[in-house]
Amino acid sequence: MIRLCIVFSVLLMLSALSLVTARYQSRQLFVAAERLEDRSRELDIEWRRLQLERAELARHARIDQIARRDLGMVTATPDRTLYLDTPHAAQGERR
Amino acid sequence: MKRIPFFNSPVLDRQMPMWRGKLVFLLLMVGFGALLAKALYLQGMDDEFLQAQGERRYERTLVLPATRGKIFDRSGSVVLASSVPARAIWAIPDDTRAATPGQLSELARLLDMPVSDIQARVADTKRTFVYIKRQVSPEIAEQIRKLNIPGFHQQAEMRRFYPEGGLMAHVLGFTNIDDEGVEGVELAFNDALSGQPGSRRVIKDRLGRVIEDVQAVVPPVDGRDLHVSIDAGLQYDTYTALKHAMQENKANAAAAVVLDVRSGEILALVNLPSYDPNDRSDRRGAGLRNRAMVDTFEPGSIMKPFTVALALDSGKVKVDTMFDTGNGQYRFHGNTISDVSRNGRLNVADIVRRSSNIGMAMISERLTAREMWTTFSELGFGRAPEANFPGVAAGRLRPWERWRPIEQATMAYGYGLSVSLLQMAQAYTVFARDGDMVSLSLVRRSGAATSKQIFSPEVARQVRAILEAAAGPDGAKLAQVKGYRVAGKSGTARKIVNGKYSKSDYRSSFVGFAPVSDPRIVVAVSIDEPRAGAYYGGRVAAPVFADIVASSLRRLGVQPDAPLESLVAVGPNGETAR
Repeated sequence: MIRLCIVFSVLLMLSALSLVTARYQSRQLFVAAERLEDRSRELDIEWRRLQLERAELARHARIDQIARRDLGMVTATPDRTLYLDTPHAAQGERR
Repeated sequence: MKRIPFFNSPVLDRQMPMWRGKLVFLLLMVGFGALLAKALYLQGMDDEFLQAQGERRYERTLVLPATRGKIFDRSGSVVLASSVPARAIWAIPDDTRAATPGQLSELARLLDMPVSDIQARVADTKRTFVYIKRQVSPEIAEQIRKLNIPGFHQQAEMRRFYPEGGLMAHVLGFTNIDDEGVEGVELAFNDALSGQPGSRRVIKDRLGRVIEDVQAVVPPVDGRDLHVSIDAGLQYDTYTALKHAMQENKANAAAAVVLDVRSGEILALVNLPSYDPNDRSDRRGAGLRNRAMVDTFEPGSIMKPFTVALALDSGKVKVDTMFDTGNGQYRFHGNTISDVSRNGRLNVADIVRRSSNIGMAMISERLTAREMWTTFSELGFGRAPEANFPGVAAGRLRPWERWRPIEQATMAYGYGLSVSLLQMAQAYTVFARDGDMVSLSLVRRSGAATSKQIFSPEVARQVRAILEAAAGPDGAKLAQVKGYRVAGKSGTARKIVNGKYSKSDYRSSFVGFAPVSDPRIVVAVSIDEPRAGAYYGGRVAAPVFADIVASSLRRLGVQPDAPLESLVAVGPNGETAR
């Protein structure tokens, strides 16, 4: 009877300790998950910012200006354009 | 001295009445009873308040903000609007008294506003919350946070950016400082764009770190991204062409619309003057007007093809029916209708090409007011287009019962009713398609567009030929585009100033489509009050039309349908045709 008591109390102690560690670990992991989520949010914001920056750089007004002024390009007129009439292109256009 | 036990004390010797003891006992018991009842009440029955108070000591509800959706152009690769985080700097005026002048001037430098301005804002120490500046970029906010000025705090908010600036301003509209749409697409699709903020209840430790979730997290639903029907490239070309024309003609304002004939999508919509939606101080005055959609005007000659189409469709006239327009002056029910020049005998096609008002009045005499009204309203005049857009104008088309004969005649050539440029562009899809009018869309369409048959395909084809002649070498030849067959009609409408038709203020317009062999786009241009001499639609608006058509068809990759001298075409089998 006494032996059984000792066994159970040891088991109880072990379970209590494991509960404490599990609890502790869960909090640690939670904080880590939290941090990663923050990071993902930050990256999303960064992506938005970069996307805007790209849009700013790819603005049609800017491209047009650079092409015309800095690179000396001119608009292609139809008489200087070679039109390739392939069946594939015709399908694509009809889309 | 003899010890006296306390119960033998002579003081107690006096016999107390029994009821006093009982009363004290009773009162004590009542007191205990009250305590017990209160304890029971707090524990068992009214426990929510204290429970909530307890939880508030360590539990927090965090609001998870939803991010407003982005707006893309039809290609999906050009961002037209996107939100990024920003900070609002606010202060508790009473606490700011501890701030040193040095700190304040540093803050003013970072915020780019005068120190006196900040001091004025925190002057009223009775207030507990004062915004100093909103929409501050996170980098500057971080520097301000490091200054650690007493009384100044920060709050997260969102700032919306429009990379294309004034180019797209009227289509997109803008959001207010709280990131809610107040104009344009931002307002029309506000619900879809704004999303749903989420929330989570958490337990925080003493350092403010989140330890665990108490309840299941309600995740924020970010606003949906929106693809508008606008093509950024076409929009830019249209903007440039219009801007150029506006300067050249010293015009007051200008607007242009490009529609996709097949899908009814609005590919470009430009209004000038414009404004920069990124600059809040720029959001006022004439620049805000979305002229193409919310302004209505008397269309003038660009209305003529519809009357002609109706007359052809009802069999009242044929393309070669002759009318004698005389010497350019025509008495009609007590009024005089005049042409710009004397035209003599003209057939129906020439009436449109030479834009003869007299000829149109004669055609309208063969029509009834009722059928004209029915056709005009079927074409969408007098009704707001079904484009999901705030403030879109319906125009004015009075009921036919009240038309006087002279009014019926003037309506045949575009006076006495008012339309918006967008309505006009949509109505012209009737001729660009096979007599059916396509429904409009400001967002990218996934399915096929619905359309409504108004004229027979045969009539549409006839009017198309008439309009091609009207934009041909003998008509508004400035509308011609190298390599493509175009069709269209110019209009020069007098503006009403102080209730009278002005002799100096005009609205020059041109509406047409291209390429005629298989129309792809409808382009409508309107130049308001050109003041550089020329004011005829064929002189002022037609070249803009040609510019826009040329660049749009090039961007859309449409093959030329008109003969070109140095055109080289390579067929699928390698043969070349010169």
